[in-house]
Amino acid sequence: MYKTLSKADLPKLIANWMEQATVYAPVRQGDFTKFQPLSDPAQANLYFAANTRYPPKALFLPQSEVMFRVKDGEFESTQDEVSSRVILGIHACDTRALQLLDGVFLAEDYQDPYWAKKREQTTLVVLGCADPCETCFCTSVGSGPFDKRGADVMLIDVGGEYVADVRNEKGQALFDHLPDASLEQIDTSRQVQAAAAAKMEKPFESEGIKDRLYSLFDSDFWRHVQQSCLGCGVCTFLCPTCYCFDIVDEAQRSERVRNWDTCMFRIYSQEASGHNPRPTNTERTRQRIMHKYAYFVERYGQIGCTGCGRCVRYCPVDLDIRQIICGAQTWEES
Amino acid sequence: MNQLIPAIRQEAARILQEDIVDVVIGFKAGTLPLKAQPAFITREEDARKLVYNGFCQNNLASYLTRRPKEERMGIICRGCESRAIRALLLERQHDRDKLYLIGVPCVGIIDWRKIEREVGENTLQAGEEGDEVIVSARDGEHRFQRADVLHDSCQRCLHPNPVGTDIVLGDPLPEGDTERAWAPAIEFEALPPEERYAYFIQEAERCIRCYACREACPMCYCTECFVDYTTPRWAESMITPSGTQAWHIIRAFHQTGRCVSCGACERACPMDIKMTYLTDKLNYDMVQQYGFEVGDSEKAQPPFAAFTLDDKNRFVR
Repeated sequence: MYKTLSKADLPKLIANWMEQATVYAPVRQGDFTKFQPLSDPAQANLYFAANTRYPPKALFLPQSEVMFRVKDGEFESTQDEVSSRVILGIHACDTRALQLLDGVFLAEDYQDPYWAKKREQTTLVVLGCADPCETCFCTSVGSGPFDKRGADVMLIDVGGEYVADVRNEKGQALFDHLPDASLEQIDTSRQVQAAAAAKMEKPFESEGIKDRLYSLFDSDFWRHVQQSCLGCGVCTFLCPTCYCFDIVDEAQRSERVRNWDTCMFRIYSQEASGHNPRPTNTERTRQRIMHKYAYFVERYGQIGCTGCGRCVRYCPVDLDIRQIICGAQTWEES
Repeated sequence: MNQLIPAIRQEAARILQEDIVDVVIGFKAGTLPLKAQPAFITREEDARKLVYNGFCQNNLASYLTRRPKEERMGIICRGCESRAIRALLLERQHDRDKLYLIGVPCVGIIDWRKIEREVGENTLQAGEEGDEVIVSARDGEHRFQRADVLHDSCQRCLHPNPVGTDIVLGDPLPEGDTERAWAPAIEFEALPPEERYAYFIQEAERCIRCYACREACPMCYCTECFVDYTTPRWAESMITPSGTQAWHIIRAFHQTGRCVSCGACERACPMDIKMTYLTDKLNYDMVQQYGFEVGDSEKAQPPFAAFTLDDKNRFVR
C-alpha cells in the first residue's frame, strides 16, 4: 500500500514512533552523519550527507559486542531484552546489505541469536536515493537506488512530501494511520525512481565476474593492483556487507567480546604455528575482491557488494574497487 | 607546479631506461577528482602517467618498507617524504644505494574535506590554476584560494624542500615559519588539563580502529604492532575509551623524534580525527629539549631511538 507524508510532518511521526520504540536516524556529527538513537526528532538529518560513513550494519553486528560476562565465576548473559527499534533513513544499498548478511547469520543450519534478535525487533524505513552519488554503483551489482528488498517501508522523496511504499506488517504498524497516496503521487514516485536509476553510469559489467575472477586466481593481476594498498581496515570496516569478526576473551574485563576483524590485516590469517596462508598483501587483496565478487556469488548466488561506494570514497589511496573489477574484466596477462 | 610534470616524467623515464631503478614510485591521476593515486612505474613508456599536483595525498615513503628489499626504487619525494626516507634510513629500513630520490619542492596538499565542506560530496572535476583551485561540482563551478584549502599540516609546514635527494627539480621554496608551525601545539599546551583531555576524548571517541593512520604513516612499519599483542594486553581491541585512547597515546609516543609532521595520518582517517596535535607537541619537545628535528641530518640518531654509554641518565635514581 502507498501512504503519503509531508516532510514537515515527519518529526511528529518520529515522535509518535518514539513512544513505542527507539528510533535511529542519521544525526550530524561534524562533517558527516552517523546513525544514532534519537532523543529528539529534530536530531534526525536525512539530507546533510548522502550517506553515513560508518555503516548501519553496526546496529545489527556491533563493532564490539559483549557476548557474555563472567561474574563471580558465573556465566552472565548479555542478551538483554533488545528493545523495539525503528531505523529511519537507511538507504537501499545498506538495507540490501543486511539482507545479504541474513544469508550468513540466519543460515539453514545455524542462526546467530545476536543478529536474529536485532533483526526481528527492528523495522527498516528506507529512504531511496533520488539523486545517487558519483561514487555509487548499486546498479552495477544487481541492485538500485530504490531496491526494495529488505525494506519494511520505502520512502520516495517526491518534493515537499514522501510517498511511502509500505511493504509488510511491520511497516504498516508505523504508517497505517497516514493518508493514502494519490494515484498522481504514486505516478510521480515511479518517475523519480526510474530517473534515479537511469542517471547512474555503470563503471563495470558484472556479468560473468565470478568465473572471470576464478580464472585470474594465479594471475599477476593481483600483485599489480595491490601495490598502492596500505593494508588498513577502512574498506572493510565501512563496508555494509563485510562481516568477519574476531572473538576475544578480554580477561581484564571478564568479558567475551566479538569485534569486527579485517582480512586486510596480516594477522587476520596468521596461524598459531606461524604459518600464514595469506602472507602478503597480494593474497589478501585477491581474497577481499574475490570474497565479494566470486566466493559470495558461489555460496549465496549474489554479489556480496551493494555498490554503496564507501570504500571508494574513503580509501586513503583511492584504490577503487570499480577500477579493479573493470581491470579484472579486461586484464591481459603479459 | 604543473610545469614540473614534464621534468618529473623525463627523469623517471631516464632512470628506468638507464636501469638505475626497477620501479619509480610517484602519483598518477585517480578515479576521484580530489585524489591522485600512488603509481608504480616499471616501464619508461608509462612515465607519462605521472602527475604532480595538490591532490597527491599520501606520503610515498610509506612504500619503502612495503616493496621487496632487493628492489631498486626511484621515489618522487616532496619535503616531508624525503625527511621520512631519511628517518627510515637512520633506522636501517633500507639501503640508500638502492634508492634514487627525485626531489620536488612542495606547495602543499589540498584537503578534500575542506573542499567538500563547501561544494558537497559530488565533485565532477578539479584542477589548479596558479594559486587557485577550481572545482566543478553538480551545482556548478567553485573557486578556492589554495592557501585556504591546504591540509592543516601543510599550512604549518616548516620544510617544503626535499633533503638528501639525488636531484631536485624546480626551484627551492622558502622554508616555513617556526612560530606558525609550533603555534597550535603551544596554544594547546596552554589550555587547562581538563580542556585538553576533553578534546582528546572527543577526537578519540570516533575512532574505529581501522589503523589507516598507522598504515599511512611511513614510520609505522612494525610487523607486529603493540595493539596486536595479547600478552601483555597493551590496548584492548574493543571500541572502548580505554582501548582507543591507549591506541592514540601510545602511537603518538612511538613517533617521538621520528614523525615528520606530514599529516598523512589525518588525511587517511575516515572519521576525520585530528591527531597531529599530539605528535606536533612531541616533535616540538624534541626540538626544545634535545635540539633534534628528524630529517635535518643523515647521521644524527633520534634521541629516543639510540643511546650512548655517556648519556646522562638523570631520570634514573
